[in-house]
Amino acid sequence: MAKFLFVTICTVANLFAFLPVIHGNNFETKATQFFSSGHTNNWAVLVCTSRFWFNYRHVANVLSVYRSVKRLGIPDSHIVLMLADDMACNHRNPKPATVFSHKNMELNVYGDDVEVDYRGYEVTVENFLRVLTGRLPPSTPRSKRLLSDDRSNILIYLTGHGGNGFLKFQDSEEISNVELADAFEQMWQKRRYNELLFIIDTCQGASMYERFYSPNIMALASSQVGEDSLSHQPDLAIGVHLMDRYTFYLLEFLEDIHPASQANMNDLFKVCPKSQCVSTPGHRTDLFLRDPGSVLITDFFGSVRKVEITREAINLTNPTELPQDLTSLRNELKSEALFYVDQLPVADIIHQKPKQKDWHPPDGFILGLWSLILLVFFKTYGIKHLKHIF
Amino acid sequence: MAAPLTLVLILSVTIRAVLFRSSLAELISERVEVVSPLNAWKRVVEGLALLDLGVSPYSGDVFHETPLVIYLFHFVVDYAEIVFMIVDGITAVALYLAVQNYNKNVFRKQKYALEADRYPHDCLELMRSPKEMHYIPLKVAMFYLLNPFTILSCVAKSTCGLNNAVMALFILSTLKGSALLSAIFLALATYQSIYPLTLFAPGLLFLLQRLYIPVNPCRSRFWFFTVQYSVMFIGSLLVIVCLSFFLLGSWDFIPSVYGFILSVPDLTPNIGLFWYFFAEMFEHFRFFFICVFQINVFFYTIPLSVKLKEHPVFLIFMQIAIISIFKSYPTVGDIALYMAFLPVWSHLYRFLRNIFLVSCVLLACTALFPVLWHLWIYAGSANSNFYYAITLLFNVGQILLVSDYFYAYLRREHHLSQGLYLRRKDGSEATLVLK
Repeated sequence: MAKFLFVTICTVANLFAFLPVIHGNNFETKATQFFSSGHTNNWAVLVCTSRFWFNYRHVANVLSVYRSVKRLGIPDSHIVLMLADDMACNHRNPKPATVFSHKNMELNVYGDDVEVDYRGYEVTVENFLRVLTGRLPPSTPRSKRLLSDDRSNILIYLTGHGGNGFLKFQDSEEISNVELADAFEQMWQKRRYNELLFIIDTCQGASMYERFYSPNIMALASSQVGEDSLSHQPDLAIGVHLMDRYTFYLLEFLEDIHPASQANMNDLFKVCPKSQCVSTPGHRTDLFLRDPGSVLITDFFGSVRKVEITREAINLTNPTELPQDLTSLRNELKSEALFYVDQLPVADIIHQKPKQKDWHPPDGFILGLWSLILLVFFKTYGIKHLKHIF
Repeated sequence: MAAPLTLVLILSVTIRAVLFRSSLAELISERVEVVSPLNAWKRVVEGLALLDLGVSPYSGDVFHETPLVIYLFHFVVDYAEIVFMIVDGITAVALYLAVQNYNKNVFRKQKYALEADRYPHDCLELMRSPKEMHYIPLKVAMFYLLNPFTILSCVAKSTCGLNNAVMALFILSTLKGSALLSAIFLALATYQSIYPLTLFAPGLLFLLQRLYIPVNPCRSRFWFFTVQYSVMFIGSLLVIVCLSFFLLGSWDFIPSVYGFILSVPDLTPNIGLFWYFFAEMFEHFRFFFICVFQINVFFYTIPLSVKLKEHPVFLIFMQIAIISIFKSYPTVGDIALYMAFLPVWSHLYRFLRNIFLVSCVLLACTALFPVLWHLWIYAGSANSNFYYAITLLFNVGQILLVSDYFYAYLRREHHLSQGLYLRRKDGSEATLVLK
């Protein structure tokens, strides 16, 4: 009877003991959720690779993703925006300083505060790979660098004209899927990313992510190999197609996302089904360690800071007074004033200009030359003229 | 004849002074057809400035003038415009006197030959009269001074004018018969740019002819005079080179001047033939083609002197023309020198075959040079091939001009010995067929 009572009391005590543990589990799950993605900062590399006016839609694609990404919190300092041509200030643009993504000019994605890091002819395969791998010349400014670390989640968005296994840059060069895969592997080995989301909106875009082999990469493409990505709608006033279908529906999807939304990657995979997009969007998640259903959209598209709200107040006290011995030491040190050595002897320069010494031909030369000339003169015209001189 | 000459001189000085004061002067001094890396005024000023700063002007690739030019311009660099005008005047006067002398000799020889009845009777219309020969020296001076090429070269203050002056003085001293002066001026001209070395043969031939020494390798008199002349030439060249050493105290000027002329490292486009070839040449062929191109300049001396050994002054004309076409950095100033001689051969007019074509080609190319340069460099709608095509055409035109005059001269000589109208043995008209 006493044993039974003891056991029950133990069990109840254990239950009570476990209660805080269960609560703790609750906290732990919340804590694990808090730190689930493992990243502390977000970067975005947005690249438009085609130039010329009729490729307006590629610039509009990139600018709409840029806009969403900025709206969701990634600052310009963490976005590397590469636009191969300037559509807003193109002389064929009937509405200068604007780039529209919806017809009837509903949405100007150019805005007032766009910061383009690589523009025009700077958008080359070499520069793109250098940005990704970080191997830039020392003189490159910070705005042109991808300063990610091993806790960065990077969004890479490419758009332009592509084919099976390549993406065309500027109508003159190409990047192949192998090069891209190697660049990502370099990034992985240099610990330049925590997780990478790669989105590509080109024809046969799925071929670009076929060759990836580094961990923690998730890839989306607008069309499979053998399919073309189509453009969405032309605007008759501007005269060109404004957006590509995939990015158009991606933009619509992203417009519903706000920094606190819990939408995950599975929703992103459903963007632009074949009925809307004509091409079949593809995705690749086999290299990604986490389950896509647990990956939030804002893990890549936004810069969601982990904030802890506390209700406790912390008192900041007066600056502490130094103990006595330290103050005496400080007085001792004060007696010897330290200053830099005179870097530029200004006084010397101002007051003592070195005199410009003119060059003079050496006297021997002048002597030799003129005596030769005289010799020749007298030889030619006879020695009899000599007496006229002397 | 002094008065018209003075008038021409004053006119040319006025034109140059007007152009010096206008805004065209800077424009002209940057044109690649007028200045080359060897004789640009900008480089002379740069070299003198380097010297004032205590650095040898030959360090680096800026300055490619000889030390005597440094000495000359050290004192007169502020009066450069006047110096170049005077230099042009000296060239014109030297050419005037030389051609006057030559014409006198030609007329004298013709008179003796006529008296000795050495010409066939039907070529009396080929004889030259004093009346037609009276104005030739003035025309020569005028052709030189008022030639747009010379004016451009003078306004650009290119030291090509100095080279021309030295060569004109060489011609004058050779025609006057002074072997020493001729050797000294030839040495000076060779010292300035290597190519006047080819003028050694015509100078020697003329002096031999003047001293009535037949050009016969068996005769000792020929060798004696040749050795004398060459010793004078080589001796004065050595003296001048050693004197230049004493100016700056180093032998830097030899690779900088002569190495530069011979190895053509600078491929700035000009009106010559070197730049385009060497711009697209593989490195391992470069030395071979440098040798080929440089030998090409010197190569024509021997056959031409063999053919023209009785006519050394025409040989001088041909040589100067060949130098200015085939040298490594030609400019329009070089062309002006041999064009000044054209009035001397004005009696050959009836035998010239291509003169219309040549003049059209030369005029068109001269007009097209700045156009295609602008299209290539500034508008970007042409490329170097366009400019090179015009260069080629210009040089072809020049070669055609020179060979045309050569043909006409030889044909006249042929007629003077064989008769103007050929007759067969039975008196009917015959024609000459080139087999």
